[in-house]
Amino acid sequence: MTTTIFGTLARQAKRQAGRLWALGLAAGLAVTMASVGPAAAHGEKSQAAFLRMRTLNWYDLKWSKTSVQVNEEYEITGKLHIMNAWPAAVHVPDRAFVNVGQPGAVANREGVWVGGQFTPRSMLLKVGETYEFRILLRARRPGHWHTHVQLSVETGGPIPGPGQWVDVKGNFNDFTDPVKLLNGTTVDIETYQLGRIYGWHLLWYIAGAAWIAFWFSKRGLIGRFVQVATGVSEDVIITPQERIIGAVSLAVVLGTVIIFYALTSSSYPNTIPLQAGDFHNIQPLAGEVDSGPLKIKYLGGNYKVPGRELVANFKITNEGKEAVRIGEFNTAGLRFLNPDVYTTKVDYPDYLLADRGLTLSDNSPIQPGETKDITVTVQDARWDTERLSGLAYDVDSSFAGVLFFFTASGTRYPMEVGGSVIPTFLPV
Amino acid sequence: MLRDKSFKTGPGPVTESIPASPGIEGGAGSNPLVAAPNVGALSGAVAGSPFTSRAEAANAIKTADLLLVIALFLIMIGGYHVHFMLTAGDWDFWIDWKDRRFWPTVLPIMLVTFVAAAQYFFWEHFRLPFGATFVSLALLTGEWIDRYVSFWGWTFFPIGLCWPTSIIPMALYIDIVLLLSKSWIVTAIVGSMGFSLLMYSNNWVILAPFHQASEQYGTLMSLADIIGFHYVRTSMPEYIRIIERGTMRTFGKDVVGVSSFFSGFVSIIVYFVWWHVGKMFSTVSYMAKI
Repeated sequence: MTTTIFGTLARQAKRQAGRLWALGLAAGLAVTMASVGPAAAHGEKSQAAFLRMRTLNWYDLKWSKTSVQVNEEYEITGKLHIMNAWPAAVHVPDRAFVNVGQPGAVANREGVWVGGQFTPRSMLLKVGETYEFRILLRARRPGHWHTHVQLSVETGGPIPGPGQWVDVKGNFNDFTDPVKLLNGTTVDIETYQLGRIYGWHLLWYIAGAAWIAFWFSKRGLIGRFVQVATGVSEDVIITPQERIIGAVSLAVVLGTVIIFYALTSSSYPNTIPLQAGDFHNIQPLAGEVDSGPLKIKYLGGNYKVPGRELVANFKITNEGKEAVRIGEFNTAGLRFLNPDVYTTKVDYPDYLLADRGLTLSDNSPIQPGETKDITVTVQDARWDTERLSGLAYDVDSSFAGVLFFFTASGTRYPMEVGGSVIPTFLPV
Repeated sequence: MLRDKSFKTGPGPVTESIPASPGIEGGAGSNPLVAAPNVGALSGAVAGSPFTSRAEAANAIKTADLLLVIALFLIMIGGYHVHFMLTAGDWDFWIDWKDRRFWPTVLPIMLVTFVAAAQYFFWEHFRLPFGATFVSLALLTGEWIDRYVSFWGWTFFPIGLCWPTSIIPMALYIDIVLLLSKSWIVTAIVGSMGFSLLMYSNNWVILAPFHQASEQYGTLMSLADIIGFHYVRTSMPEYIRIIERGTMRTFGKDVVGVSSFFSGFVSIIVYFVWWHVGKMFSTVSYMAKI
């Protein structure tokens, strides 16, 4: 048998194949683990751009604090407009729940109010209405947490709103969450009844293990298999004494359950079932979106993919008594500001704030009774970083948002706008 | 069946062998001799045995027993756990899903499946009345590992929010019914019904404190509701809970009894089906050769 260098190498490779596989797997695992970091996003960018723009509009958002101690309370407040442009792809929010998008239970949700109503459960919200909300949180786990507002819609899914980084400092072990019961006592739900839960489970775990050990000690598995397989008498395999032990065990099991049930019922005579009713009487805000003395007609627009630029043409009639200017376009949590109107720094998460992102073909005020054709240009890299640039590739190439008009006296008129856009793919 | 297969493939009957089951109780050779099984290693102990003494054979059997039972336990931790989490997971995970209607209805029906199959396996082949307890203990082991490591250790949900349902009393009950009745049909009817009825009653011991009432900003809530509301689960909006929300077809407030009895009736049928599932899987007939 002749040996060639190639044959030797081939045999060597064959021998080493298993090791190489293992080494490759280990290397692959190490490479993937090297880039592991804490997850901070909540999928808000993964949803189609047109859905994010046409479902909800969050505005006047405010996080009361961005640095808190464990047990310290803070709030997220703002307004939520259910867009008239609500897409057919998502079920209308006739059963919705205002949620908090955060990495686990890093803060406890002490309360949520929508339209002034405490809403710990689901609620009916109406398309076209605007609701004021307040979320009260209690800091729990130390860390640097991205905290979103979020509306979950039954059959539609979660629609995350803007998020803000919140720093929680202190010691996790110090966290408490006291709740006052109707009977007047206050309990800490963080640790409530842990001993009872562990004790009850441990009791039965030991009982179950003892039962198995008792029977397993009677000739194990193989021995009993042999006995059964060879037709040994039933009374030999399981003796009458063992059946008596079984009967006594049954009495002990049932007796224990009955006694503890009775003791528990006497200890907690007044209990209620889980509460599950929805809220149907949420009051919307009056005088908010679309309540201004303005008539807006969308004349068409386009979206320039290379320039991340939305251009929308409007015919705007001012039917009010004061001149108005366009100051802001808000969509999918992003704020594009007109720097001529917003002259001071705005407190809003930077990654969602394009403070020079809005330009107008005519920046002069629209006088009372005047009608103007205005081209609104929304341009910022945040279109891309927040993945709204996907609009050009959506199944419905249309946008929506809220234009904010301002009078010189400080009155603000939020107006919903939107419509189809034609994408421009090539550099212009 | 496993033993049928063994009979078919084994040599002719022999009358002397090493006692097959030294057991923990008496050690090697402590049991009376019985007609030897026609299975290879044991019958081979007479002629051409790999063992040099009865004690060695007894130790080998004891070790095999332990390995088998540990392997089965680990398999059940995985298998039963996956089945249960996929079919009844949320009711078992969360305190604010443990209601009067769906929790006592769904859980026993989903639990009695593996219970029936395991009872077939352990009773028919070993006359061991611990099939239900064995798989339930495995399930609880997996659940507690999951709740403590994943729910608490990784996600920091307190155990008060996510303790698993207590199921061992139910399992002990149905095992003992099988032991005393020696009948799988009686066990299906009496055992499954009791299995279902015992679920809410034995869990009430740890659930009742969480059903105390509290007023929260003018709204009545149970402590379980409050815990579920306070500890944010981003992917779990309130409406996703499948819990009792009232119906015109209940008997007033006596929801638990109706649910438990209904669950018991369905469990009887499920037990029948899964007893035969156990029968199908307790065989080596699917293997071409062994």
